[in-house]
Amino acid sequence: MGKRDVQICFRFPSGTLEMEPPPNGVVRTPLNSVVVQRRSKSKSYRLSYRSCLGAASRLGFTPALTARRLNTSRRAPRSRNISEKVNSEQLALLLKTEWRLSYVTPLFKFRHTQLKSYSRQLSAFIAAEKQQGLAVDVEGSQSGFRVSFSVVQGMTETDDDAETVLIQIHTNPLFARQDEPQRSVWSGLLTCINGNTDYLHSLPKDFICLPLFGCSGSEVLTTLVKSWFQQAFDCSFGPLEISHTSLQWLVALWTNCHSESGIQQLKMIWTLPVVPPLQITYTVNPQDAWELWSSVRRDPQEENEGGEAGTSIDIKEVMRFVQGLKGHFYRHFRLDLSSGSLKQVSTALGSAKYNGRIKISNSRYMITTLTLLTECALLKMPI
Amino acid sequence: MDDSTRRLLQRLIRRIPAPMLKPTLEKWGRLTVAQRQSMDYTQRKWPLTEKLLSICEENEWTTKHITELEMICVIDNPNQGMWRAFQLMDPEDDAHSLELTQFKEQFKSHLSELVRHVSVKIKKHTDEAVWIRIAWGDGFSRPNHLKPTYVVHHLQTSFVFVTSLTSKQKPLLSQALVLSTRHHAIKDANLSGRNLTAIRDLLMRQYEQVFPTKYSSPLEEKNQTPSNPHIEREQAGPFANRLQMACEAFGGGTLPQLQSAVYKLETKFRDQTNRNMTEREEPFRCVVKFESTNLLESLRHSASSGIASTPVTPLLSSIPLKGRNYFVITDNGPGPASQMHPSQK
Repeated sequence: MGKRDVQICFRFPSGTLEMEPPPNGVVRTPLNSVVVQRRSKSKSYRLSYRSCLGAASRLGFTPALTARRLNTSRRAPRSRNISEKVNSEQLALLLKTEWRLSYVTPLFKFRHTQLKSYSRQLSAFIAAEKQQGLAVDVEGSQSGFRVSFSVVQGMTETDDDAETVLIQIHTNPLFARQDEPQRSVWSGLLTCINGNTDYLHSLPKDFICLPLFGCSGSEVLTTLVKSWFQQAFDCSFGPLEISHTSLQWLVALWTNCHSESGIQQLKMIWTLPVVPPLQITYTVNPQDAWELWSSVRRDPQEENEGGEAGTSIDIKEVMRFVQGLKGHFYRHFRLDLSSGSLKQVSTALGSAKYNGRIKISNSRYMITTLTLLTECALLKMPI
Repeated sequence: MDDSTRRLLQRLIRRIPAPMLKPTLEKWGRLTVAQRQSMDYTQRKWPLTEKLLSICEENEWTTKHITELEMICVIDNPNQGMWRAFQLMDPEDDAHSLELTQFKEQFKSHLSELVRHVSVKIKKHTDEAVWIRIAWGDGFSRPNHLKPTYVVHHLQTSFVFVTSLTSKQKPLLSQALVLSTRHHAIKDANLSGRNLTAIRDLLMRQYEQVFPTKYSSPLEEKNQTPSNPHIEREQAGPFANRLQMACEAFGGGTLPQLQSAVYKLETKFRDQTNRNMTEREEPFRCVVKFESTNLLESLRHSASSGIASTPVTPLLSSIPLKGRNYFVITDNGPGPASQMHPSQK
């Protein structure tokens, strides 16, 4: 990609360790502690974490910023009437698709003003690859694709968030009639919602961070788009799984929304490691789930502080909630769900799967879900 | 030859797996020697279908003949579609001495009284099972042979297995069965699955049973995983206990293949640490569904490996014990559809 000097600066907080949790809930690991125990065993998590520790120790810096963990508390989701701010067509596309997630490292010199040029470049790239014979059977259309990049305005939460970009590939038949609708064969999404401000500020000037990438459509086109991005912006993609902690967060966050807009049911799918594998679908009535959730949140200590209890959710409450559900299951079947793994969570607000698939069905709580996923993607950044 | 007969034959040939085509046709026995020799089974299915259609014209087969072939094919390969089990209740005195010819006549006459146009075919299989094929019509149309219902009944037992039955047809079939088998009522046995042999074995307990023994006998597990000898020595006793209890609950050897079990729980939430929920009057409603390629194997393995605590809870062990896979569990005593108490812990 040519010579380029990359400077990565770490910001060190001056002063001593803070003992009380800061308002936005991010816990800073003390400077001399090294390892944060991750419970997820998947290889990609271990690789990225190890590489970040290795790199940092080589540079001689203590990994204050790279030893991150998932937020231990977050704001309770409020219903947001996002349809006022976002274009309704784009919103419809966001809501009806099941996205396959990946993480992307920061993009070098990606400009939101150059989207038209990117569209042309990507169409040309796809056409060129087809002629090389590398792309086999792209939807059978003989004459190429029309790519469109567009900005989805109205979704950013902080000033540091880059604007969300939507990519769509339509078939472009050679002898199209005037009114023939163009079929969309592939959609992609690049977004960053409520990204970690320290990390975003630590990036050098020309990098734009849009860590969450979602795609839906044929694998062939996905590979082509990813390779174009890698060539054009010197970034790299990697698979993003939704860890069981994040899935448990979604269980709690979505149940929390039941009082404002009904979730219809709380469905969790667990798999047990027996031979042959056993799948357990645990569906809870939404009203009962919500009552269990609110009973778990009603901590007398928090009530004395007043006011704050309603707006922030702590990981301990999430754990108590899930433990309550598991306990009820155990009392009946004497089977501990902790021995298995949580693979899928579904409610009327959306469904999330362990292998990195997400579908958001209700626009009012989209921002909360995307915030959580952005966090997951940022945690997987190799540096 | 009728167009519908052609269609029926075409669909049937499509359903039969290619290697089974020759033996099934020979078992049927309606092809002449010359025709049998002219069939080239190395061809693909489409030319074979055409050949059979022309033979069909030659021999002037009617729908009746084709349905014979269909029955043979379904009897040989019963593990398709969803089978539901029913149980006949309150037998009369002469129910146990029911004979096949009597049953056949009675069933056909009762069903024809209830439904104007219906086509019934009854056949007795070698293993004492009576197979019934029913093509339903109504007052205005002829029987629809493309969507037949199959019923399997073992005479002198009270179990009936049915597939492809709509809710409209259910009361008619129930009435005919009850009258012809000399019982008073029929009820849903709450057991369903894809594999007919499995649900039949489960209900009739035709799989290896393991009984509690006074002297713990070492039940050998088939695949021994190599591990640390110290751990093995320490764990040998508890492991043998778990394995014994797991096999007592679910059975030994090969288990019938069930695919799923559904529990509808309507019990109260009891947790010492959570006072608010425990004081709640209403039940905590949820539905739990267990799914696996072989559910009983999975449950037995989870009990023997310690994932499920032993002794196995009655909720799980009643799948093989009572031969059901749909349960409604409430706090009170046996409700109308439930016969279980939840384990209070």
